[in-house]
Amino acid sequence: MNFDLDQEHRDLADAARDFLSATASPAAARAMLDDGATVRPGRAELVKSGFATITIPEHAGGGGGSVLDLAVVAEQAGRLLAGPSLVTFARAAVLLAGDDRLADLAGGDRSVAVVDHDGPVLDAVGADTFLALRDGALVCGPGTVTAREPIDPTRGLGDVTLGDTEELVPDAAERWLHGERVGRTILAAEGLGAAARVLEIGVAYAKERYAFGRAIGSYQAVKHLLVDAYVEVEQLRSLVWWAAWAADHAPDELPLASAAAKAAAATTLEQAAEAVIQVHGGIGFTWEHDAHLYWRRSKVDRFLLGDDVSAYDEVARLAVTR
Amino acid sequence: MDFDDTREEAAWRAEVRAFLEQHRDDGTDRDTVWDTGTARTWQATLYDAGFVGVTWPVEAGGRGGTPMQQAIIDQEMSRLDLPPLINLIGIGMCGPTVIVHGSADQKQRYLKRLLRADDIWCQLFSEPAAGSDLAGLRTRAVRGGDSDNGGDNSHWLVNGQKVWTTRAHQSDYGILLTRTDPDVPKHRGLTMFVVDMKAPGVTVRPLRQMSGGADFNEVFFDDVVIPDAERLGDVGDGWRVALTTLMSERLSLGGGGTGIGPRAETVARHVAEHLGALSPDRQALVRQQLGKAYVAVLGARYTGYRQLSRISRGELPGPEASAGKLSGTRSARDLADLAVRVLGADARVAGGFWQELQAGLPGMAIAGGTDQVLRNIIGERVLGLPAEPRADKGVTFKESLAAERGTP
Repeated sequence: MNFDLDQEHRDLADAARDFLSATASPAAARAMLDDGATVRPGRAELVKSGFATITIPEHAGGGGGSVLDLAVVAEQAGRLLAGPSLVTFARAAVLLAGDDRLADLAGGDRSVAVVDHDGPVLDAVGADTFLALRDGALVCGPGTVTAREPIDPTRGLGDVTLGDTEELVPDAAERWLHGERVGRTILAAEGLGAAARVLEIGVAYAKERYAFGRAIGSYQAVKHLLVDAYVEVEQLRSLVWWAAWAADHAPDELPLASAAAKAAAATTLEQAAEAVIQVHGGIGFTWEHDAHLYWRRSKVDRFLLGDDVSAYDEVARLAVTR
Repeated sequence: MDFDDTREEAAWRAEVRAFLEQHRDDGTDRDTVWDTGTARTWQATLYDAGFVGVTWPVEAGGRGGTPMQQAIIDQEMSRLDLPPLINLIGIGMCGPTVIVHGSADQKQRYLKRLLRADDIWCQLFSEPAAGSDLAGLRTRAVRGGDSDNGGDNSHWLVNGQKVWTTRAHQSDYGILLTRTDPDVPKHRGLTMFVVDMKAPGVTVRPLRQMSGGADFNEVFFDDVVIPDAERLGDVGDGWRVALTTLMSERLSLGGGGTGIGPRAETVARHVAEHLGALSPDRQALVRQQLGKAYVAVLGARYTGYRQLSRISRGELPGPEASAGKLSGTRSARDLADLAVRVLGADARVAGGFWQELQAGLPGMAIAGGTDQVLRNIIGERVLGLPAEPRADKGVTFKESLAAERGTP
């Protein structure tokens, strides 16, 4: 058994962190809320770096890598609240497999968003090509985007009205589902990074903040709050790796693994962000502190690709029919 | 990344599996196994086949194997739903302590018999006034009996009480942590012994648990004589010896891959059988509860696989392994509660398998480290948070007792 990242993945994570941290940060996310700055690193830079297109085959101009490779990068993106989401690229790579548009995406000539039925669309802002499932067929076309007032502006949510679409795949339900599952895996990886990072911020503060003559992290009430978040973060990490591995090697396990990862990510990030705000006391709910930027991410991500309730329901449905 | 055995691991697994499948009927019936005679025979059969104490050194009666080999045995036993070995505490805790701290003579006399369950062992640590704070224990061992008898250093006289001692009523020997010096800080005045559980002055009284079962005991020591040759480690070094015991528990049991309480898959099948009888809105609620517990179990299981991978590489399990017990006892309780709930009219009366299981689970969150102690361990040793404030630092055991009683 070797259920761990190998050196290659660790190097990939380091490289992704180096690239992403040059522009993306909680401060950049705050600037989007403050004065409408654009998301960092942004679509063009992400594509140019090659990180966003890892799962696109080499012949289409991508990296020809695995879902696990992308998950490793997505964790780093989550830590820095980077955007647009790698979920969008992961799903597009599945949906456009075998289509010329995939090379356009990898070449930076197209900005894609994937349109779900249930409300404002992830990374709709700035997209020019929209993929959707209509009557069981995969369709593609232009659309008009109405940006909505953001809770988390890095998610680029907007209402999409599709223009004239072209049918790409007639019987695409399975492919769409697979794209959702890969997307849930990458979403959970971004959630993992965000949760792990916000927890680090909380742990660091609990070591340096003194009350009643001691570091507050010495008190069980504070310590145990952080430990519970830590346990969830590490279990989420395991589920993300499992789901990514399943996407690459064990398609039979992907439905359960991706639903479990999605559900755990929603719960874990929400609880970690909430706990860390509480640990900080007054400074924790100020605009200038980073905690609320992770909290905002959690309050949006829980609804993406199906909400946590539907993901837990799916886990249970799969469990009782196994 | 992969979930496959290495070639050596696969060969070992095949060997273990073949043996267990061939002999499983000797061990599958849990009711039979609690009969100590059958359970001893079952462990001896496994030992003679080379599957007990694999991580122990060859000279101690083991086979000098790896923790991964032990983990594979644990997995295969769990796969066949075989009960734990009767001498698990001896194998996991007492024996390793004797290996590290015992004399050549003690090793010769005890170890192989322990592995074959010729002798059953228990661990006499906890006391009525010393649970999580084990070092506050009060059982006294006095050299030569009393101070007037200072000339005779060949034996110790022990008085006091232990409690929550699993299998004491079936045990032949125990490792006993005592206080030999109350005039130094409490961690420094302890000494460990091997005690003969059949010696005069040892009284074992079974304790009934909330589940109705009686697996553990209180043990009284009244002027029990222990030869000095049965001391484990130096006088006053008992805390360090006890840490060997507690660390061994984590190592020998392999860790990772096997869960706590009912298997989530078993609960899911049970829920599936009862789901149809519920109203649609109830079904939706039950699925939420099952989904949440199931995700927690999967998260712990795959985190266990990460630990197993480190063990497979030859690394030792660290304090982060406490997280598995912490979350495992929580999800076990959640799953059992759900399993009982879907019984409908029968849920509020006893007698069924799930009701019995349910009553055994709160105790699992206490035995072997309470949830709160485990959180302290993770917080301090994994996250690096500062230790809890403690009032007993730098004072002698006597002084800390006086402070407890409110007499300065």
